[in-house]
Amino acid sequence: MKWKAIVLPIVVAAALLAVWAGVWATGAFHESAFPSPLAVARGFGEEMRSGRLLNDSITSLFRVVCGFLLAVGVGVPGGLWLGQVLAARLAFLPIINFFRNLSPLAWMPFAILWFGVGDAASIFLIFLSVFFPIVLSTMAAVANIPAVYFRVAEDYGLHGRERLTQVTLPAIMPQVITTLRVTAGLAWLVVVAAEMIAGRDGLGFAVMDSRNGLRTDLLVTAMIAIGLIGIVIDRVLVQLTKIPSVRWGYDR
Amino acid sequence: MFRSTAVKILAGAALLVIVLGVLRYKPWQRRDQPMEAARASLNVGFLPVTCHLTCPVTDFATRTSATTRFESQRFTDFPTIVESIKGGRLEATFMIAPLAMKLREQGVPVKILYLGHRDGSTIMVRSDLPAKDLRDLRGRVFALPSKYSNQNLVLRKLMEDQGVKPDEINFVEMPPPDMPGALASRAIDAYFVGEPHAAKAELDRSGRVLYHAKDIWPQFISCVLVVTENLIREQPEVVRDLVRGIAESGEWAESHRLDAAKVAAPYFRQDESVVRYVLTQPPDRVSYRMLEPTDAEMEQIHRMALKAGILERPIDMKDLIDRSFIPPHIRAAEISVN
Repeated sequence: MKWKAIVLPIVVAAALLAVWAGVWATGAFHESAFPSPLAVARGFGEEMRSGRLLNDSITSLFRVVCGFLLAVGVGVPGGLWLGQVLAARLAFLPIINFFRNLSPLAWMPFAILWFGVGDAASIFLIFLSVFFPIVLSTMAAVANIPAVYFRVAEDYGLHGRERLTQVTLPAIMPQVITTLRVTAGLAWLVVVAAEMIAGRDGLGFAVMDSRNGLRTDLLVTAMIAIGLIGIVIDRVLVQLTKIPSVRWGYDR
Repeated sequence: MFRSTAVKILAGAALLVIVLGVLRYKPWQRRDQPMEAARASLNVGFLPVTCHLTCPVTDFATRTSATTRFESQRFTDFPTIVESIKGGRLEATFMIAPLAMKLREQGVPVKILYLGHRDGSTIMVRSDLPAKDLRDLRGRVFALPSKYSNQNLVLRKLMEDQGVKPDEINFVEMPPPDMPGALASRAIDAYFVGEPHAAKAELDRSGRVLYHAKDIWPQFISCVLVVTENLIREQPEVVRDLVRGIAESGEWAESHRLDAAKVAAPYFRQDESVVRYVLTQPPDRVSYRMLEPTDAEMEQIHRMALKAGILERPIDMKDLIDRSFIPPHIRAAEISVN
């Protein structure tokens, strides 16, 4: 069972690579429109040796982690409040739904005007793209806590702070962690858009820059790095579901 | 239980940000450059096109010079450059001439001090089309980099001269890097853009040259050096250094074309052979001499921009152009390439 989880994905990846090489070998596309696996491997080596790939990866991770944690830090408490206070929910929900639909691409000009090109603008765009889903999902989780939980809490004499830490938070944690996994993926997904304007580094910038430099091999290199790091981020966040106090939420 | 887990997760998140932040900003690299801080430094915006070649060359030339350090900042499109200027984060940049006029019209206090180049733009057409001039492109799809580009204005003029009406050719705006690919896949039939995005199609054999810019408008201008009035007011000496640096870099590039390609390619992050091709095939495909803007040619661009509806009202060209920083004698910069 264990070996299957390792071998099978490698087989699929190898098959994909073979298809890629096969399509390239037919010569249906010009080299600059469809780079060969070999050219990409060479580009990968070039980017590794110059240190650019590592630097771009760290830069992108830094921006995504900052934007994401800011969104979590504001969004989860915000969602808790909205979930508990009906009037607040009625007041804010339409506005949150309004902003939720705006693509970070639409905010790009303002990001540059307000924050210039660099870390702050990218972090701002990543924040915007994950903040609203986190608020909405946390809010829904709180609103859906069965009323019987609170009645029991009442019987045990739990109020205010105690009720929050001993009933509300444990009740919503499984759903919040699932949301974090989804939105972390989202934050990493928008890194290309958020770093189009990044100025001089980042994987998203590398994508735009290799496009400008007419280098599709380096473009694919950056795409591969983005995909691989995305897998790692998800694996790390899966660890949160193994915390004993929230595992109940995933048992079936 | 719950509380201690939460503390652990918070500590982990904080540690992650700190570690990434340290790796990102590399604080240990800052201290060993005390000389850098002593010298004045200025960021100059450019795009990876040969029209802006003198910008990275000036950067290269001032890496170790005693005067101001000019750091070339690569952008990927003009809108980002414009927003950076409006946001007060960029004070000097290369940009397409009509766009500088548009900024001035919008009340953004910028001035044109110098030109970036002469010529260096090309009209490419699909190599399998027998087109000999624009009349043969009626009903075809023609790509332009931006309606604010001088390429757009010059093309309209050429269409008028050849008796082609504006709506007889289907124009699309497209980012220059996408043009060679679009031509190869026949999504477009022709395009007019600054190099090396035209030469790329020529090297791929998917396109051929219909006109060089110099065939349509000798000493064609597409990009100019734009500086904010704020920078002129506060650091006139830096501005003087910049214009001299650009002028001398241009003079050097003119006579050291192979070396210029070698210097610029890493800044552009483009294949050196493509840049070399543009600078040498033929050698007068792009020129970096006679970069002083004349009233007549700037007025002509202004008139054409008004006619095309790009500018809504005339602007005072005296406010826009300032030639006072151009050095009286231009010698080639001393640059050693290795």
